[in-house]
Amino acid sequence: MTDTITIRKGLDIPIGGAAEKRLTDARNIATYAVKPTDFVGLTPKLLVEEGDAVKVGDALFCDKNDERIRFTSPVTGQVKAIVRGEKRKLLEVVVEANDNASLVLEVPHTAEEIKAVMLRCGLWTMLRQRPFGTAANPNDQPKAIFVSGFSSAPLAPDYDFVMQGREEFLKKGLDALTKLTDGKVHICFKPNQNLSKQLSTLHFPLSTHYVKGPHPAGNIGTQIAHIDPINKGEVVWTMNLQDVAVLGELVSTGIYNPEKIIAVAGPNIKNPHYYRVKTGASLKDITSAQLLNTDYPEMDAHNAAQQNRVISGDILSGTQIAADGFLGVYDDLVSILPEGNYYDFMGWLMPGFKKFSFSRTFLSGFLPKSTFKPFGIRIPRFASLWKFDTNTHGDERPLVFTGNFERVFPFDIYPTQLIKACIVGDIELMENLGIYEVEPEDFALCEFVDTSKTNIQEIIREALEKIRKEGKG
Amino acid sequence: MSEKLKVKSEKFKGLSKWFETHQPKGKWSWLGSTYEAFHTFAFTPNRVTSKGSHIRDAVDLKRAMITVVIALIPAMLFGMWNIGYQHYISVPETLHSSLFTLHCFWFGFLRMLPMLAVSYIVGLGIEFTFAQIRHHEVNEGFLVTGFLIPMIVPVTTPLWQLALATAFAVIIGKEVFGGTGMNFLNPALVARAFLFFSYPTRMSGDQVWIAADLWGTDAIAGATPLAELAAGIHPSASALDMLIGTIPGSTCETSVIAILLGAILLLFTGIASWRIMLSVILGGGLMGLLFNHLSPLTSNLSPYFQLPFYYHYLMGGFMFGAVFMATDPVTAAQTNIGKWIYGFLIGAFAVMLRVLNSAYPEGMMLSILLMNCFAPLIDHCVIARNIKRRQKRARIQSKVTAQ
Repeated sequence: MTDTITIRKGLDIPIGGAAEKRLTDARNIATYAVKPTDFVGLTPKLLVEEGDAVKVGDALFCDKNDERIRFTSPVTGQVKAIVRGEKRKLLEVVVEANDNASLVLEVPHTAEEIKAVMLRCGLWTMLRQRPFGTAANPNDQPKAIFVSGFSSAPLAPDYDFVMQGREEFLKKGLDALTKLTDGKVHICFKPNQNLSKQLSTLHFPLSTHYVKGPHPAGNIGTQIAHIDPINKGEVVWTMNLQDVAVLGELVSTGIYNPEKIIAVAGPNIKNPHYYRVKTGASLKDITSAQLLNTDYPEMDAHNAAQQNRVISGDILSGTQIAADGFLGVYDDLVSILPEGNYYDFMGWLMPGFKKFSFSRTFLSGFLPKSTFKPFGIRIPRFASLWKFDTNTHGDERPLVFTGNFERVFPFDIYPTQLIKACIVGDIELMENLGIYEVEPEDFALCEFVDTSKTNIQEIIREALEKIRKEGKG
Repeated sequence: MSEKLKVKSEKFKGLSKWFETHQPKGKWSWLGSTYEAFHTFAFTPNRVTSKGSHIRDAVDLKRAMITVVIALIPAMLFGMWNIGYQHYISVPETLHSSLFTLHCFWFGFLRMLPMLAVSYIVGLGIEFTFAQIRHHEVNEGFLVTGFLIPMIVPVTTPLWQLALATAFAVIIGKEVFGGTGMNFLNPALVARAFLFFSYPTRMSGDQVWIAADLWGTDAIAGATPLAELAAGIHPSASALDMLIGTIPGSTCETSVIAILLGAILLLFTGIASWRIMLSVILGGGLMGLLFNHLSPLTSNLSPYFQLPFYYHYLMGGFMFGAVFMATDPVTAAQTNIGKWIYGFLIGAFAVMLRVLNSAYPEGMMLSILLMNCFAPLIDHCVIARNIKRRQKRARIQSKVTAQ
């Protein structure tokens, strides 16, 4: 079954510096970390101590509420550090790799066996549930499982490139997912995406969709909303494409091999391209190589790290990490952005040729967005025209201008009203307005275009957590 | 990039330093909001994103507001000229020099300047005070309101009345609700309504529209097309005059062409809603046509019933209201369907008030204020439909799973 969904609302942010299709093997990185903070709403129970020897797939900590859900080490080695924050909150469990051993388990066949193997090696935590975005609950019966075959976020990796050579595993992984639900497994591609052609020979019950249009077309939330929106009380699961391939390897060979290919990209870095890493890898070597800017030899590594922001994930909804931090567990993109901590003299009054705005309030609005293609000829000059950095371009204000959110929010939901309901914390109203259909990342573009500089994703996350906690209590 | 950044901040290093060293401290720290206001006026802050999206759109409230002010400038400039023009063609000793146009503009400029100054000084004074008391940042909303208020009153309005109206609009129309973004009535129209009901003789009739001299509040007799129609006479000005705006009227709302220039900017930048503008025009036009058809049926042969519908666009504040007032994003309906309904009813009610109620020659102000009150209700109904749809979907789904 295939169909094409056209998204009209949205925005492709024309930022330069996407990853070149070149691959560096970085599996020899020595330090890894698993971060409880990557998992929404998790209360971790630590299972190791500093100095303990661990193997691939050995649990470092587990969910205090459900000890079957284990968070495991991606490598064999020694626990090097347990990093805690305020109120002794567990932030990172750091493991130093010293062996290349891999974990081999018995090949699972039935749904129960697949579930058991996934829980055993920690791959289970890569299944996320909606609503709430937490790790999936093994007791739930999801009404469907969704996988996105492409990403439309700024600087996102090209999944055709990333999945090269792993198509067979991907098929096996999708096959395994169909066993985990009584409902359907949905996978979405861009129209004419190469990867979709490779999978067209599949004959198990998988429904393939094609999604056309600007970002957030590739976001799983957009796809769910257009294919099978979530109602109150329903649960769907989602999994990232590369993790499906890891699952495929696990179910076909029994080997747990938590590897992924990540894109390292940004407008200002030396040579944006792809790296093959293990999940949770330290980004220290990668970022220091990328940040040492040959154009400015006077800038040393420390300065470069000060003037740039390393983001695990995309620039709209990723997490800021230190330049020597660790890759987020669900992320396959590292974005590096220049910091914008400068004053802009009369910035609100100046013509603004280099300022990108969804509205056309700056003179740049008269220029064509992203790549300008008169008569089909691509003029590359426009591609790198805009300057993007982390400046907010203004102070926070009450929500005043309306209509912009609606233009970048392809859901059958009133975004302004839902945000307001979240701010006042009216749970019944939030439910009525469709809170279960969204995750913070679905509001990332609203947050980007917002004139009032409100932190909308934070508001949505807090509202979802409030509902989740009330439901529990 | 980083090198460029350095250059950028060093360009005005002196001023930047001055702000840094003059941050209010100790016994002056209560002036924080005022300091913030001036600092952010001079420099877009160096604030970086801390949560959520790491990049943000270049537009902020200041930019959005200044765009509206820029859109108002054609109407403002034409209004200044027209004040002088109306004056000089009405006084006996009309000067016929080659600099006639310039004289007209200069006269109008000098008339408008004190009105603008009063509006901004009173309004901003109150805004700063409230922000200071609440320890909030000063909001940009008044940039537009302060510009609008002198544009929609008769040229002979005494300055003390203008000051009173501005204070009333800012305090009762906005600040009591929490400031910009929280009010439900358009503050500029609240100011006008205040004047209209408090000093009706200074807001309508024939004796207010043309300034008799440069400084006083005396007027030369001259009727607006709306007043003529209300009195049952067909307007003496031609449609072309009304389109260009060389007619008596409130200071800056007479020229439809100048207003349309502003409308083009607002629509191009995406600041104002095209849905509202279009639906106001549709609503007014359809109502005008309806009266044309009712005229023979009811054997009401008053010129107002027979007036071609497009006259309504040309006369009075209809276009000014449609472009700059109805589209105020705070007080308008906020859903897209709601915007269509809201705009359509503004247009329809404005024309209905004009034609049927000769006690209020101009229906636009009252019509917009009325719909401002109803905008939340319209939105409520539109959203209720969405909620019903969602609940229905959930019910169907639960039935399917039950089977």
